[in-house]
Amino acid sequence: MSTTTSQLLSTSLHQQHVDLGGKMVPFAGWSMPVDYGSILNEAKAVREGSGVFDVSHMARFVFRGDDVATKLDYALGGCITDQPIGMARYTMLLQDDAGILDDLLTYRLADDEFMLVVNASNRDRDWDLLTERLDGIECSDLTEDGGGILALQGPESLNVLRKLSSDDNFAPAFLGLGEIETDFGTLFFARTGYTGEHGYELFPSAEQIVPLWMALMNLDVTPVGLGSRDILRLEAALPLYGHEIHESITPFDASLRFGVRGWKTRDFIGGDALRALPEPDKHLIGFTCEKRIPREGYNVLCDGEIVGTICSGAMSVVLGKPIATAYVPKNVDGEFSIDFRGKPHAATCVDLPFVPHRSRD
Amino acid sequence: MRPNDRSYLDSHEWAKIDGNIVTVGISDFAVEQLGELVYLDLPETGATFIAGEAFGEVESVKAVSDLNCPVVGEVIEVNSDLCDNLEDLQNNPFEGGWLMKVKIEGDNLEGMLDLAAYEELVSSQS
Repeated sequence: MSTTTSQLLSTSLHQQHVDLGGKMVPFAGWSMPVDYGSILNEAKAVREGSGVFDVSHMARFVFRGDDVATKLDYALGGCITDQPIGMARYTMLLQDDAGILDDLLTYRLADDEFMLVVNASNRDRDWDLLTERLDGIECSDLTEDGGGILALQGPESLNVLRKLSSDDNFAPAFLGLGEIETDFGTLFFARTGYTGEHGYELFPSAEQIVPLWMALMNLDVTPVGLGSRDILRLEAALPLYGHEIHESITPFDASLRFGVRGWKTRDFIGGDALRALPEPDKHLIGFTCEKRIPREGYNVLCDGEIVGTICSGAMSVVLGKPIATAYVPKNVDGEFSIDFRGKPHAATCVDLPFVPHRSRD
Repeated sequence: MRPNDRSYLDSHEWAKIDGNIVTVGISDFAVEQLGELVYLDLPETGATFIAGEAFGEVESVKAVSDLNCPVVGEVIEVNSDLCDNLEDLQNNPFEGGWLMKVKIEGDNLEGMLDLAAYEELVSSQS
């Protein structure tokens, strides 16, 4: 980890990204590759074969303590007390009124030990809130320890992982955690991801991260930048903080009930507010359109009336056309259009996700 | 090699003057920064613009950007085939990827950069 002259953080793979022609851009305080030449080709590589993203900017927190599960259960939206050791779960950090402060994965490493991976843009706020809510728990922020997270995603990702390992027969369950023996030691991983594809997130140590990256390059895994990551997660309709989810959106608005399991009976921050909420009057819908890409903040119209604004838009490599999401009132029905900087263009409402998930395959 | 026979705007458009006709396009640097292009919107022949006014839009997978008119004048020709052949703009922004021709009064390219100044700008942004 190092700080560049512009005060951006760099991951341990900065030089590798530059050597591969990565276009480095500031992202949530980090210098990250947005692409290595072609956002579209990189996204296709993940859908058709395998790609790897350096997502070491994402924050890694570890919490230890005898009653850590009970305290996390109260601090987060999801049920943590029944989370099995060796499994990951998706949940959210809520505020008192059930607005979403962040979404995250919890990884249960042991009975009394969890790792949380949270969005880079929310690292400081999440840390402050979690350490406050987890009074008496040992808290560590490992984000800048020189290790990181490499997301290996795509239908070929299992074959790639087997080639890295001396065990060529293992097959971890969806959301399962595991370890493989490699030429550079024991590598910790989880079968998680943010693309809707079969995939893994690898957690190399500071000593492992460069040899792991080089090994993946030697296995012809395509390096993929953050530009493609946004396409892939939107095709899979996976929410992004600041877009589909934020403080004014509840887990129910965002159709993320699975992230607040046990909400009817559990005692947790945001729980009382969730239980008091009426049925949401808006819902997240998907659009496709032609040629132009709807961008965040563009108005969505139905029969000429503004009914919402675009949360995210991208060029889908699977559909070959632009896709976008927006919250609109549930009772709205008619001809949709999107206002492209003063010029309305027709949009077609489609079911989410845009591309079926294969992450459990 | 960027051509030396034209002037540049700091927003990366170029203008090549021939009598009272100015051909307008965007630079290789603009194209490279945008990345993979998906859409181009150009004006109709007969439209008039003042210097600095947006005359169209170019959109890539990453971003959408206004096209700024470098001169005051009337559009007399538009490279409308380009809208369906964006690879010409991507691959050849200084020749086949020209955007429009504008008829101007006088030959004032005030405020534009010569090649040396533009190269300096680009290297500071790279």
